Amino acid sequence: MTDLDYPSDLRYTSDHEWVRVGDDGVVRIGITSFAQDALGDVVYVSLPAVGDTVTPGDSCGEVESTKSVSDVYAPLEGEVTATNEALDASPELINSDPYGEGWMFEMRLADASAVDSLMDASAYTASLS
Amino acid sequence: MTTQTSGARAQLTSPLHDRHVALGAKMADFGGWDMPIEYPGGGVVAEHTAVRERVGIFDVSHLGKASVVGPGAADFVNACLTNDVRRIEPGSAQYTLCCDDSGGVVDDLIVYLKSDDDVFLIPNAANTAEVVRRLQAAAPEGITVTNLHHDFGVIAVQGTRSDEVLESLGLPTGHDYMSFVEADWQGHPVIVCRTGYTGERGYELVPRWDDAPALWDALVGAIEPFEGKPCGLGARDTLRTEMGYPLHGQDLSLDISPVQARAGWAVGWKKDTFWGKAALEAEKADPKRLMRGLLVTGRGIPRAHCAVSRDGESVGEVTSGTFSPTLKQGIALALLRPDVADGDTVSIDVRGRALEATVVKPPFVQVQVREG
Repeated sequence: MTDLDYPSDLRYTSDHEWVRVGDDGVVRIGITSFAQDALGDVVYVSLPAVGDTVTPGDSCGEVESTKSVSDVYAPLEGEVTATNEALDASPELINSDPYGEGWMFEMRLADASAVDSLMDASAYTASLS
Repeated sequence: MTTQTSGARAQLTSPLHDRHVALGAKMADFGGWDMPIEYPGGGVVAEHTAVRERVGIFDVSHLGKASVVGPGAADFVNACLTNDVRRIEPGSAQYTLCCDDSGGVVDDLIVYLKSDDDVFLIPNAANTAEVVRRLQAAAPEGITVTNLHHDFGVIAVQGTRSDEVLESLGLPTGHDYMSFVEADWQGHPVIVCRTGYTGERGYELVPRWDDAPALWDALVGAIEPFEGKPCGLGARDTLRTEMGYPLHGQDLSLDISPVQARAGWAVGWKKDTFWGKAALEAEKADPKRLMRGLLVTGRGIPRAHCAVSRDGESVGEVTSGTFSPTLKQGIALALLRPDVADGDTVSIDVRGRALEATVVKPPFVQVQVREG
């Protein structure tokens, strides 16, 4: 577990997802290094549909590895604006680059300030120990 | 997302436990044993691929070991377990089943025929005590059944480069599929059996418990030139599922007979007696469900207990399902109504989503496990 990292410019949820704040209240979402390591080789990803309206805790997708499956939850309220279609053909991007090419979906937040309710990197790291 | 945490901690550990911990393996409970699921720097897919293309080593010391010794030991075993041990010669091993009187499977196991008076058994970890108990209860005067679970380790060396790995340790290779040699490694006895659970050419080594760590260390070094990998039980499961090999507790159980699992090839039907014979003969005439392979045609992975339907009608359920690293597709073993035939299209209910699959006859991949 020594090589897992948690970038300081991201926000985190207790469901082991990260949230990157972009422009105009749009955020990008993926799963953390801890989560992909716990899952093992990711072999299938299902994502929400663009246009879906979601609220925190809604199950809006699945990440499946060779050994288990986990739900993907909406971290905040908003509308899904994009999904990472590269994961269809290359789900292993979640393992190899969880904060970059392994991103999962983007959403426009109903309330841009809601991000502040999520954990920062130090709080998330502390929650893992 | 959520991550699962394991339940009760396993109490039992392999003689190689500290090796796995030092390698940073992810450990999990397996039949009451704390065993490696996967190692860092690879993961299930890389370990699986190493075995299919090169070589991998597995600690399977959780497997049971037991002996049946005494005059007529082989005949005694033959009157209990399903397969016909008279089909093999001393020096060979055989896949067989321990059934109860109703034909349910207490365990599937490997019998090593050392001589007419000396038989060695490798049952599954969780079932060893029960197999030994049943044999002990049935054993006549003069035949001793002993649980040797903690007397031996078991290390599987699997993959096309297995012979070269064993040769570099000075161990015997090239004997026939399912035969074994009682060898010596640096002054220590080790049984080298041409068996495995992956479908690849390979061997299972049975050293004494205390000799297992040194043998493992030597193997870790010996696989390096071939880019081999220590492999966890995660890869062992994807490898065996690609072959359609059953796992007791999922594809065989007290509720899933060898007739249903289509393991009738491991039943000596012509023998006078074996446990469960009458029930299995009766079931053979009219099985209610049969094991089939399912090759998923869409995107998704079937898992155990997913419901299977055909034309909207329920026809059975998945017993084992996984992602095939070789085919890059979901595959499954399923118990289906006997009128479902190879080539049929069925639908698997994966957490509410319909996943289309074709009924096929395993193995899902072509291998050369038996070739000389």
